[in-house]
Amino acid sequence: MPKLTFPLSRIEGHAQVVIEVQNGEVISARFQATEFRGFEYLVQGVPAEQMVVIVPRICGVCSTAHHVAAVKTLEEIYGVTPPPMGQKIRELLMLGQIVQNQATSLFIFTMPDRLGIASIYELAQATGADEARARIATRALRVREVGTHLITTAGGQFIHPVKAVIGGVTSGIGTEQAAAMREEAIAALPVACELFDAYWEMSVALKERIGTWGDDAPTCYIAAVADTRPDYTGTNIRVMCSEGQVRDVFAACDFRDYLAYEETDYSYASRTSYQGEIMRANSLARINMAQAMGTPRADEYLARFREAFGRPAHAILLYDLARGIELVYALERVAEILAEPLAGEDTAIPYSPRDGEGYGLVEAPRGPLIHYYVVENGLIVHAQFIIPTVHNVRAIERALRVAAERYITPERVDLELEHAVGRVVRAFDPCIACATH
Amino acid sequence: MNKFAVLQLSGCAGCEVSLLNAEEWIRQHRLVYMPLVLSAYDVPQVDILLVSGGVRTDEDLYKLRWAARRAGQVVAVGTCAISGGVPSLGDRDEVRELFIAQEERRHVPRLLPRCSPIDTVVDVALYLPGCPPTPELFMAALTQPAEFEASTIVCQECGRKKLKDMRPTHLVGFQKGEMMPDVCLINQGFLCIGSSTRGGCRAPCPRAGHPCVGCRGPSDVLIERESSAWFTSIQRIFGTLTDIPAEEVEAGLRSPQYALFLFQFSDYAAAERPPRPKEKVL
Repeated sequence: MPKLTFPLSRIEGHAQVVIEVQNGEVISARFQATEFRGFEYLVQGVPAEQMVVIVPRICGVCSTAHHVAAVKTLEEIYGVTPPPMGQKIRELLMLGQIVQNQATSLFIFTMPDRLGIASIYELAQATGADEARARIATRALRVREVGTHLITTAGGQFIHPVKAVIGGVTSGIGTEQAAAMREEAIAALPVACELFDAYWEMSVALKERIGTWGDDAPTCYIAAVADTRPDYTGTNIRVMCSEGQVRDVFAACDFRDYLAYEETDYSYASRTSYQGEIMRANSLARINMAQAMGTPRADEYLARFREAFGRPAHAILLYDLARGIELVYALERVAEILAEPLAGEDTAIPYSPRDGEGYGLVEAPRGPLIHYYVVENGLIVHAQFIIPTVHNVRAIERALRVAAERYITPERVDLELEHAVGRVVRAFDPCIACATH
Repeated sequence: MNKFAVLQLSGCAGCEVSLLNAEEWIRQHRLVYMPLVLSAYDVPQVDILLVSGGVRTDEDLYKLRWAARRAGQVVAVGTCAISGGVPSLGDRDEVRELFIAQEERRHVPRLLPRCSPIDTVVDVALYLPGCPPTPELFMAALTQPAEFEASTIVCQECGRKKLKDMRPTHLVGFQKGEMMPDVCLINQGFLCIGSSTRGGCRAPCPRAGHPCVGCRGPSDVLIERESSAWFTSIQRIFGTLTDIPAEEVEAGLRSPQYALFLFQFSDYAAAERPPRPKEKVL
């Protein structure tokens, strides 16, 4: 059976797409994660408190989410609740990750598809006639940098942050430092909006050219944020059905009652389903569930998005626009939080280690992330990482099939298919290092 | 303009993200291959090949050999490429058995028996230590300035005070609820190995209250010596600052998952190769 293999780039980690075709008919479309390090195995026997430093190494792009999830898991086991100041600084940390991630996904991963170039860095090096376009690249990288500065401010280190600890965070943020960071976020907001407007236009132009926003079959959505003023440190997990009603709300510890796991022999990433159905996580899920973002500019964009695409919006290329709304929201929300006093002493409370089991939930940029540890004699005896990308694998494969059927006919394979495969996968912004861990 | 490529083997992409934060290279070098941010099918001929991640799968091995052959110079980036990093925790026997469970997956790259540093496969001209290496180190590797000074030890960048009269008698856990903000973690009974670990990271971990786990590997003084010298050096520091029995520190350091082993020691201790020459380590 003829197989078309597409290596992937501008995503996090190693993956490829394999489409099987027979007589012009698409037999299967598979999303294959091709790396594996085995974190669930290799943390067995590790001192539980050390998890906070080890698990960020699952992924250098999502290290903040794993860092906070590990801390929350151990807090559940030890029975401690961080003080409000500690929680506030963690919220800031997660917002920094949203700024960084959504800017990376929008500008570094997917904007080249809209501009027809291989990389934004190619653009940043352009001179002469291309200088206007080069300006887009340099401004985009500046906006992303705000996210990295925020994570450094709230987390101590941009990659593999260290400041979240069991019971809170190690320190507050000094008044001067907070004011400077706030200025930076405020200055970045109009730049981000301008870039997002341009991105929106490019996306519409792309849709005009290819004639579709991609797979738009009604699907259910999963996220762990409230329906206004999303706090990415995570609350309960909610599932919205394809018609738009919230069908289930459950705590992280009950995930097994709602989500079914499936392993395949063609990928190191497993895949999940919600009561047998395909579901979607990440930006589009959150934006579909949002009543309001709760900040002025982001709400303007949300209204514009709803007017254009309805609620819930199902077409996959809208994931990218949803990321833009979140980028704007995060910058606005960061400015609000940084205006509050954050220099206090009460950033953490003491705790006593004890054995037990616990769950830690955060809303990572790619969706709900759950850590589950069992601790005996102070050591990890079992660990499970429920990765948001895994919730999207079946949705990615369906969308790939839709794209394949569009471009493969008994007569020929349209070369646009290769671009379509890249756009489909990038819309979901999968993280393969996390998905396989 | 120099051409450079970034080859990511089995790792977490943290090194790549750190490189993206060292943006000044944009004006000086042409990036021609880096799947994370650039669509290209294959590694072309380049002046500098940065390699991150360890050699975990047969595909890693193939890609590394192929790319290194077409590169003027290979630079090992980050702890995984230099010594296996966190993924090499999987080389413990009991974990290796669990990995065998992955064998039934037939349509994916095959896992090798162990996760190896890249200099077991190709010649390495330069090492950039750290998990991840700082943006400054990337710039130093790409521009190789004459004035670049190798850093000393993490202790010197930490800023916590070492006290003469605060001598713990036992190691405490990896963390604990209350921690004194400005006092050396060793004085507080933590197994912190910042005294023998290469600096240059600005000590974010001990500053935040996490004992240094040695991600940047041994300092210049220790790097060319056998691993027992590293052990002895840590023992000496604990002997000077604490009353913790030497056996307890020893057991802590040697427990398979404890701090030192986490990032570097498993490799440095078991190395079949000669040590990395210090002039090659930034």
